[in-house]
Order: sequence, then C-alpha cells, then structure tokens
Amino acid sequence: MTQATAPCCDANPDPPTFRGCCIGLSVATCLLFSGATTAADSFWSTIQLHGFAAQSVIKTSDNRFFGDSPDTSFASTEIGVNASVRLDPKVLVAGQVLARRAGDMYDGTPSLDYALTDIALIASPERILGIRLGRVKNPLGLYNETRDVPFTRPGIFLPQVIYYDKVRNIVLSSDGAAVYGSLYNDLGEFSVTLVGGWPVLDDNVQWTYLGGDFPGTLRPNGSVWTGSLWYATVTEQLRFGLSGALASLRYAPHQNDILGPGQTDIVYGIASLQYSARRFTLSTEYGLEPVRWRRYGPLLPRRKVTSEGYYLQGTYRIRSNLEFMACYEEGVADRDDRDGSDFAGVTGGLVPAHAMFSKIVTVGLRWDPTPNLMLRAQYQWNQGTLVLSQLENPDFPRQREYWNLLALQVAFRF
Amino acid sequence: MTHRIASNPIHWPHWVAALAIIAMVMAFNPNWAPAQEIIANSGLPKTAITRNEARLFFSMKLGIWPNGAPVQVFVLPDDHPLHREFCTQVLGLYPYQLRRVWDRQVFSGTGQSPVTISSEAELIERTAASPGAVSYAATPPDNPRVRVLTVK
Repeated sequence: MTQATAPCCDANPDPPTFRGCCIGLSVATCLLFSGATTAADSFWSTIQLHGFAAQSVIKTSDNRFFGDSPDTSFASTEIGVNASVRLDPKVLVAGQVLARRAGDMYDGTPSLDYALTDIALIASPERILGIRLGRVKNPLGLYNETRDVPFTRPGIFLPQVIYYDKVRNIVLSSDGAAVYGSLYNDLGEFSVTLVGGWPVLDDNVQWTYLGGDFPGTLRPNGSVWTGSLWYATVTEQLRFGLSGALASLRYAPHQNDILGPGQTDIVYGIASLQYSARRFTLSTEYGLEPVRWRRYGPLLPRRKVTSEGYYLQGTYRIRSNLEFMACYEEGVADRDDRDGSDFAGVTGGLVPAHAMFSKIVTVGLRWDPTPNLMLRAQYQWNQGTLVLSQLENPDFPRQREYWNLLALQVAFRF
Repeated sequence: MTHRIASNPIHWPHWVAALAIIAMVMAFNPNWAPAQEIIANSGLPKTAITRNEARLFFSMKLGIWPNGAPVQVFVLPDDHPLHREFCTQVLGLYPYQLRRVWDRQVFSGTGQSPVTISSEAELIERTAASPGAVSYAATPPDNPRVRVLTVK
C-alpha cells in the first residue's frame, strides 16, 4: 500500500479472551500429553533449540531505508530463538521469540513470534491431517512464515513489492487455529492450510491503511482468514501455490476525532511458482491487494484501490556454499494509476508520482563459510519510492525517484 | 563409396560401441552405482520402505512409523559426500531442498530438524542405539542392531 509506518511494535492484544483461550488450550494440551508420556527419556531427547542472529549494514545513495542509510545504517538486526518438543509422535509444541530492529520502524523489542501446539490427527505416508492452536504464522507466499529468518530468504531483504517490510503485522501471524492437510501420491504433494484468528496489529498498520497516526484505534473487525493451496511434484522440483488473506479492520474514533467509525476491508492474494534444479532455483510471485475504505467521513472518502506487485528471481549455486542471486521486481500502489500521475495530480504534486510505484533490480552474493555462518552482499537499483517507509521518509518532495542501495549482512545460526 | 555410406550411414568407431555397451551394463547393474542404504534400528518390524515414505521421514514431515513408534532421523552434514549422494540418488532431492524444508519447519514452529552427526561410524552407532531411528550408510553396516531397509 501507499502510506507509511510508525515506530512502534506494541501489539494490541485483541480480543484478550480468545487469545487467552488459545494459549490456555495450548498449555492444557501440553500438560495432558506430558502427563501421558511414560518414556521420559524420549521426551527429553526430542527437545530442540534453534536460533539466529543477523546484522546488516545498509548504504543508499538517497532516501532512508532501514535507518540513516544515506550515511550508512547499522539499524537492521534480527535475533530469534526457538524451542520445540515432541510430547508424542503426533504432538509438537513450539515457540519462538523474535527481536527485530529495523530502522525507525521496529526498535528491537522482543516479541512472541509464534507459540503453538501442533496435533497430527492423521499421519500416514499417504495423507497427513492436523491442527495447530495458538499463535501461528500465516502461510502466505513462499516466504511469509519464515520472513524474518535470514537463512531462509533468497536475499538480505525479501522482494518488497510482495513482502512489504513497512507493514508486516497484518499478515505476519494470527492468534487462533490452523487446519492443515497433505496428500501424497505419484503426482506429488497437494497441501492445504487454513488459518483463522486475530492478527497481531501495531501502529504500522494504522499508518499504512489510514495514512497517519490518528487518535482512535484500529481493531480487527472479526477474525482474519488466511489460507494456502500448494502443489509440489514428487521431488519438489516444481512448486505452485495460491495463498491469500481476508481481513477487516474497524476504526474506533477517539473523542473529537476527525475520522468517523470507518471500516477497511483488505484482501491479499499471492500466486507463487518455484522451480528448483541442481544448480539454480527460479522463483516468481504475483500479489494483488484490493483495499476498500468506507464510513470514515469526508476526510477519508469511500474508495477502493487495488495494489499489485510481482517479482522474478533466480539463484545460481556456483558451489554448494556460494550462491549468486538476481531479481527484478515491480509494484504499484494503484493498478489503475500505474505511473502515479493521477494521484500526483489529485494531490497537486504534494505526493510525487514516483511514490506510487517501485521498480527494483537486485544482484547479490551469498557465501556460507561454515554451516552456521552466512555472509551476504547485495546491490539494488531503484526507480520509485513505493517500498520506502513514510515514517523514515516523511518529506515527500525530498524522496528521490532514482536511488541505489548496497547492503552487507553477517548471520549466525545454531 | 557412395553406395556404402547410403546402406550403412553411421560408421561408429569400435570404441564408441564398446563404451556404449559398458555404459548400458553399468546403468542396469545396481552394484555399479555407489551404494547407499537406508538403515533403521532393528527394533522396528519394518524391512522395506517406499521412496515416498523415505522422503517424508528425511524431510521430517512424517514423524511416526506405521506401528506408532516415533521416528528419529540422523543425518550427516549437508556438505558430506555421502549425504549428498544419498539425497540425490535415493531421495531424488538436492541437499539444499531438504535444508529448505527443515528450516521452514523449524523456524515456523511446524516441525523439527533431524539430528546431525559428524561421521558415518557414529551415524550407525546412534541408529543402533535409538529405537525408531532411521538413517543411511554407504554399505550395509555390520551391526546386529541395525537393519537395512529395502527401498520399494
């Protein structure tokens, strides 16, 4: 979307009763199964601890991206630690804490990334069916579930036109329940996941979908639904997926608020395709996001805008621990105003046309000197500033249309 | 000359024919390929496994044997030659694909990763000592507590 972000990562725990219910249910399942586990040894032997820590350095020619990048920014740090245990061959309990510092957008306060109990109801070589309860990651696109884990990304940053870092939380995770199922046969694997629950909202969402930090509060209007359908060939050479999210947000105005009690309806759909060969992997994704605003009053009239983005990315493994990456991505805030000229006209040039789109060419190298250590370098040529956070770049006239970026990253895992 | 070429247009040198025959014999002789065996703890009743089952176990998507016992997977490091051979020859997957699946599961709370062991000898030891264990070896191990599973 078109607007900006705010410097806060506090979640509004809403509604608390449901959330409490989910976590309570997880704990109850935990106790139930730990009580039933007779072989204490096998219980302890299934405990796993994993984690990662990454630091990036970012330098841009113009515009701020993850901090004061024109003067070289170190304000991009990602640290995560997770634990999991199999209480039973069919029951997994897992949780991860994530601390993420991202320029002015996130300050590094640790947050609960996921905490869930996974119960497999059917687990056979032909079919798997199960449920997950608690805070679960939303299955959107190729990368959303592990978008903050540097080792799982194809570059230092994910393609921003699909995986906007300026607004993450509406799609990041849900407090609720997931149902998942897979079928395996000679054709390959067919999988489906459906997640229903409450999103973990923060002020970034309000800034992005309302264009500012208003005195009222934006809350989920009922539950958010996320789902994915995947097909993979037998050896996962080809993977094809459709995923999407349906969310509705309700604005509760403060006293003397300039906005009315409005509602924002968001649909997000992604089509994904990935081809994996011995030396190279090709990935492409296309995303569409129709958003509708209504009942906010005269300041924010009823409207509907559809944003769009796609990327094509190739990685080539020169050696098993050395990888070259190239990517082209393009995103528009309004698919009916691709060059942004209409919006620039409406705002009298206050918002320049180039703030309404981004075209980015990226090249990068990844080197893993050891299995636990990864070094990355990446260079980007940008036209347009759609992917920039407005909070980091509040002054539209100062945003440069053409800008370049160099980023280096060191990441450790265990 | 013209007539000879027309009636027998392909004049392969003898060494090409010989190489072709050798290649065919090697291709059809299972002993030629460097052998990798799927091994399991001998406490399990199973003697054979399908390739699909093997992929599900080693990708950590299926954690339970048909008799209800938990599956414990042991592997060598990603860049170990035997691991690479096993992945591509037996599972039909590249090591980086397995790593991608494990990472996706471990860092989204939907699964676990296998236990990585540094040497093949220790891999066999651990498989012998752990009920429900499954792993691989270059040749059938000489250990009564480990059983080779035939891949169907």
